[in-house]
Amino acid sequence: MSTRFRLGAVGLTALALLAASCTSGGTGTALKSDARPATGAPVRQGGSIVIGAEQEPDCTDWIASCATSIWGTFIMDIPTIPRVFEPRKVDGTWGLAATNVMASEPEVAAGPPQKVTYRINPAAVWSDGEPITSADFAYTALAIRDGKDVLNRTGYSHIAKIETPDPKTAVVTFDAPYASWKGLFSDSSGLLPSHLLKGKDRSALMKDGYTWSGGPWKIESWTKGVSAVLVPNPNYWGDKPKLDKVTFQFTADTAAAFQAFKTGQLDALYPTPQLDSIDQIKSGLSNASSLVDPESGNLEAIWFNNAKAPFDAVPFRKAVSHAIDRKAVVTRLYGALGVTEPAQSAHTPLVGRYGGTDFAQYTPDLAKVDSLMRGDGWAKGSDGIWAKAGNRAAFSVSTMTGNKRRELTEQILQEQLRAAGFEVKIDNTSATDLFASKLPKGDFQMGLWTLVDTFPQPSLEASFSSGAVPSEGNGYSGLNMSRVNLPGLDRVLGAAASSLDEAKRVEISRQADKLLADSAALLPLDVIPNILLWNNKIGGPLAVDPARGPFWNLAQWGLAS
Amino acid sequence: MLAYLARRLLYSVPVVLIASFLLFWAVRIAFDPLARLRGGRDAGALARAAERLGLDQSIPVQYWHWLTRFVTGDWGVSSRTAGPVHGLILPALGTTLQLIVWGVLVAAVIALAVGVYSAVRQYSAGDLAFTGLSYLGVAMPPFWLGLILIQILAAWPQELLGLTDPPLYFVGLHSPDGGGPLDYARHLVLPVLTLTVGLVASWSRFTRATMLDALTSEYVRTARAKGVPKRRIVTRHALRTALGPFVSVTAVDAGLLFGGLVVTEQIFAIQGMGRLFLDSLLAGDVFVLVPWTLVIAVVVIVFNLLADLAYAVLDPRVRLR
Repeated sequence: MSTRFRLGAVGLTALALLAASCTSGGTGTALKSDARPATGAPVRQGGSIVIGAEQEPDCTDWIASCATSIWGTFIMDIPTIPRVFEPRKVDGTWGLAATNVMASEPEVAAGPPQKVTYRINPAAVWSDGEPITSADFAYTALAIRDGKDVLNRTGYSHIAKIETPDPKTAVVTFDAPYASWKGLFSDSSGLLPSHLLKGKDRSALMKDGYTWSGGPWKIESWTKGVSAVLVPNPNYWGDKPKLDKVTFQFTADTAAAFQAFKTGQLDALYPTPQLDSIDQIKSGLSNASSLVDPESGNLEAIWFNNAKAPFDAVPFRKAVSHAIDRKAVVTRLYGALGVTEPAQSAHTPLVGRYGGTDFAQYTPDLAKVDSLMRGDGWAKGSDGIWAKAGNRAAFSVSTMTGNKRRELTEQILQEQLRAAGFEVKIDNTSATDLFASKLPKGDFQMGLWTLVDTFPQPSLEASFSSGAVPSEGNGYSGLNMSRVNLPGLDRVLGAAASSLDEAKRVEISRQADKLLADSAALLPLDVIPNILLWNNKIGGPLAVDPARGPFWNLAQWGLAS
Repeated sequence: MLAYLARRLLYSVPVVLIASFLLFWAVRIAFDPLARLRGGRDAGALARAAERLGLDQSIPVQYWHWLTRFVTGDWGVSSRTAGPVHGLILPALGTTLQLIVWGVLVAAVIALAVGVYSAVRQYSAGDLAFTGLSYLGVAMPPFWLGLILIQILAAWPQELLGLTDPPLYFVGLHSPDGGGPLDYARHLVLPVLTLTVGLVASWSRFTRATMLDALTSEYVRTARAKGVPKRRIVTRHALRTALGPFVSVTAVDAGLLFGGLVVTEQIFAIQGMGRLFLDSLLAGDVFVLVPWTLVIAVVVIVFNLLADLAYAVLDPRVRLR
């Protein structure tokens, strides 16, 4: 359930979209999915492919702070590290189901104290033949809870104790009700092998690649700056990979990567949907197939600084929201890919079941803008710009320099808002300055950035609770950059974070969404679509999973027969 | 000679120290090594990382800690990869060296040939054509030239000839499955060509100018008056004199190229020094950037020294003191 802000070219890249053909190996609970495969071309056993990776992971010690690259998760973490839960799309919404590591769905007892019992599949083994045991659960939980260099302790810091009554049973006891317990051993980190790592320097053993695996693939090699190579794990207890080898070639330059794809040096690409990528796709790719899906975990939004004039007034925020034609913006950005609908929730599609469509109330309506502004004491000046007590309705919009998609969005917004009587100045800066200084310190008025969900559990409290407002007291580390502080919202978000009743949690989360929409605390713009491209050499059920990326079912990919 | 070398190296030490501190300070001010952690939900991650990396100390203290470790041979650990810094820099240096060796060799041969021809046939059609082309070569930015070369020499021939693979590759220096010398050559041609065009353009102009100086000098006139054949005058007298400054410029440029191939390495997915610099800069990884700068400084100093030595060897009138 981690939610992160997108750092553009430097860092956290696009997640993905849609749906998966759904198989569940072993004895784990299998849910029938309505997800659709992108292609059903039959495949043969054997062969190898080369996939372009636009970003190289910094390290492969997945629980350490160096493991922030989402590409690392896609290409080496997900294929090799076993997890307890995995995202599944059921009846049109993303949920979670136990993987084949588990003998059954973990049992949760509300308590207090809250306890979760994990029963491990007897068939589950590491690549060296050693069984996956409760000791692995204990080792992983304590390494994250108590380790020094740990990227994300969310959830693990609530673990009071972990018991291992037998090798195939682990019991976790929490110190407080924790609704997102399914994220443990599943979200940002899976299970690590205790028999190989306990008492040793985990970082040294893992950070440059490792040869063991608990998934369908093993890392054969990782040549820094060049490529990472996966080969099948012969001891995997689930469905074995069809391909003999998959090479991820690191190609940072988009134009060169597309040329390499066109000439067959790369067999598949998963490009960030920047304007140059979309132009490349528009210009045509022969002998290739593509999948564009608008159901990702990336929500691009217009963020208002709720604590700073003029956006500290609800009528002003609402007026601006009614002055913006979001559909026109989305169509301009992604119309060529067939994506034209704006987002209507503060939740990404990955956690869409927890959100509503309350932001649909904000349609372009200049009469409403007039009424809201006049009702708040504003009047139009001779220059056509609203003014109140000598202050003009002039404000700045900020995003990171060099992101062409966002720069174009700003220009469109500038035009639309000018027509409604608002003067907008573009005030962009580097990603570092924006995310490390301007946003945490509240030094902005309106901004454009992306909210990223990587696990199908709601996490609005991380982004909108008043305790998450960055301040000197918390080292400017909270995620509530827009300083949202609505009456009643903290209580609702707190209830959503601690409720173990799923239906109630959905209901409460939707209340939070409504509160945010009714006060126009932000304005969701679009869900950044995921794009997967592959040449006709590849077959199998290709699809993107918004949490696990495009290579979640790499074991089913193959050479078209 | 040895005293000269020792003095040159000694002069370089304060320069390198000042440069490394300024770089350390500038990177610390401008880039945030914790930027990638700021979007995470775990607020404690920032404080933990800041303490681990020593970011809670003043910049001079951080620099001093780094320097005292560095002089004892400990290059430190990258804040980006958590791996040893020498493990990042040395392989990248080797990769860039491959590009530079081939690029400089090819460029030097072509530039000498073109420069000599242009000087000997001054204002001929060929000279004018080479002059125009050299201006074009200097003006073409590598990011544009690289992509154009990919299109012209790889994509179009593959399409026109209906080949399974392009005749020249442009991702990395080897195919994923390894490959022999031919595979290496097919990967090397385009990045080396991208690098070579600019070098040939500037070096050929330089050669032309020095050759013209030599050809109009008194000793050449004397040789002509003595009836020495033209070919011999050009190769034995004028070219030998022109070679000194040429080798000097070539060596200095080659040294500078070690840190200057950022764009070329990015386009062709080659993990050399340029790409390592870019990755480290964007991540605010000062623990890599400062040793990187020191390595580049040492390389530039060494190449400058080599240039001076070469000059002295090629031109007996020059003495190093």
